[in-house]
Amino acid sequence: MTVQVILKGFGEVVKEVTFRVRRYDPEKDNTPKYSEYKVPVKKGMTVLDGILYIKEHIDPSLSARYSCRMGICGSCAMIINGKERLACQTQILELNKDLIKVDPLGNYNLIKDLVPDLSKLFNNHKSVKPYIIRNDNPPTAEYLQKPEEREKYAMFTECILCGACLSACPTMAADDLYLGPQALAQAYRYIADSRDMGFEERLNVLDSKHGVWRCHFAGACSEVCPKGVDPALAIQLLRGVLMKNSFFGYKQVPAPVGKERPTVVEGLKVLEEKIKESEKK
Amino acid sequence: MMLIDNKKGWISWFNPIKYGMDRWLFALHRLTGIFIGLYLIAHIFETSNILKGPLTWNNLMVFLDWPFGVHLGPYILSILLLAVVFHGFNGLRLTIVENGLMLTKPYRPDYPYEPKSLKGWNLGLKILTAILMIVIGIIGIVYIFTGVLL
Repeated sequence: MTVQVILKGFGEVVKEVTFRVRRYDPEKDNTPKYSEYKVPVKKGMTVLDGILYIKEHIDPSLSARYSCRMGICGSCAMIINGKERLACQTQILELNKDLIKVDPLGNYNLIKDLVPDLSKLFNNHKSVKPYIIRNDNPPTAEYLQKPEEREKYAMFTECILCGACLSACPTMAADDLYLGPQALAQAYRYIADSRDMGFEERLNVLDSKHGVWRCHFAGACSEVCPKGVDPALAIQLLRGVLMKNSFFGYKQVPAPVGKERPTVVEGLKVLEEKIKESEKK
Repeated sequence: MMLIDNKKGWISWFNPIKYGMDRWLFALHRLTGIFIGLYLIAHIFETSNILKGPLTWNNLMVFLDWPFGVHLGPYILSILLLAVVFHGFNGLRLTIVENGLMLTKPYRPDYPYEPKSLKGWNLGLKILTAILMIVIGIIGIVYIFTGVLL
C-alpha cells in the first residue's frame, strides 16, 4: 500500500512576480544591464527555482552558479533585493515582494550574469594557512582535545565559503587587498584550535596593513552569513589575541598526542618510503 | 576570460539600507568623522582670522552666526555637537569591542542565526551611547540656543 502525502497548496501557482536580473555577457556587453522576466510562483519556490525557470522557459542564456540546492555548497550566493543571500535558501513568497531584484555578489570580478569570480576569496583563504600547523614530529596518533576546547572554534568550522560576507563588507568595497571576513575568521578558527601551533606563521599576514586592523566592525558579514558563522566575532577575538601578543606575548600550548596507534605508525613508514622513492626518481 | 570589476566602491559605505544597526552605525561614524574633519579645517581657517584685526574678526563672527542673512549658526553648532558626541562615544564603544572585550564567547549557531557579537554587552554599549548622546545633546542644544546651562 502506498501512502500519499498531500501538502495543502503545494505546487499551485500563487502569484506572478517580476525578476529583475542583472545581465552581463562578456562577449556582447561593455557594461551590465538589467532584464526583467515574469515568473509564476508556486508555494515553496526559491529564488534559485525562479532563476532556473527563466533559464528553462524564457532565456537559456542566463548564467548562474549553483550545485546542491540545499544550502550546503554555498555556490548560489547572490544579492537578492539588496542583501546577500543563498538563492536556494530564499523563498520567493517570504520576500513578500512583487519585484525580485537579483544581482551578482559585489566586490568580486564578474565573469557572466550572476557568476562572480571567487578567486579573491580562495586566495585570501589560502593566505592565512587554513590548516593545523605543528612544528613537532608527524603524529603517531590523534591530537587530544577536550570538548570545551573544541567549542572555542566550533562555530567557525561551519563556513561554506559562499563569499557572501566579502560582498557585504564595507571595507572590502574600497580595499581590494583586504583579507576579508572569511579568511580572518578562518585564521582565528585555527589559532583558537588547541592542536595548532601556527600563530607566528600567520602573524605577518594578519598583522599587516590590509589584515585584521582594517575591519571596522560594521557587522554586515555576520548578518548575511547563511550558516550563522559570525565572522565579525572571530575578527574581534583575533584582534584581542594580537593585542595580547603585542603586550604580553601569546604562546600556543600544543595539544598532546594520544596513545600510539600501530596503524598510524605503519602508515607513516609507508609514506616515508614512498617519499624517498619519489625523491630517488 | 574577460572579467569586469564589480566592486561596490566607497560610496556603498553610506548605503546601510537592508542591513542592521551596526552597519548603520558604521555609516554614521564615517559620515560624522568626515564632517568633524572638515569642521576642524574650517575652524583653523576661521580662528586664523583673528590676526587680521577685531573688525574682520567681528564681521566673520556675524557672518558665521547669520550666513547669507539667515540665523543658521546655532543649528550648525547643534549638528556639530551631536556629531562630536556620537563619534566620540561610538568610538569609545568600538575601541572596547574591537579589541575582543565585552563580547560573547564563540557559540553554536542556531537557526535563524542571529549574530550574538552584535547583541549582549555590545548592544548595551550602543544603548548607553544613545542615552549619552540624547542627554548631552539636550544640555548642549539648550545652551547653544539660550545660553542657559541645565
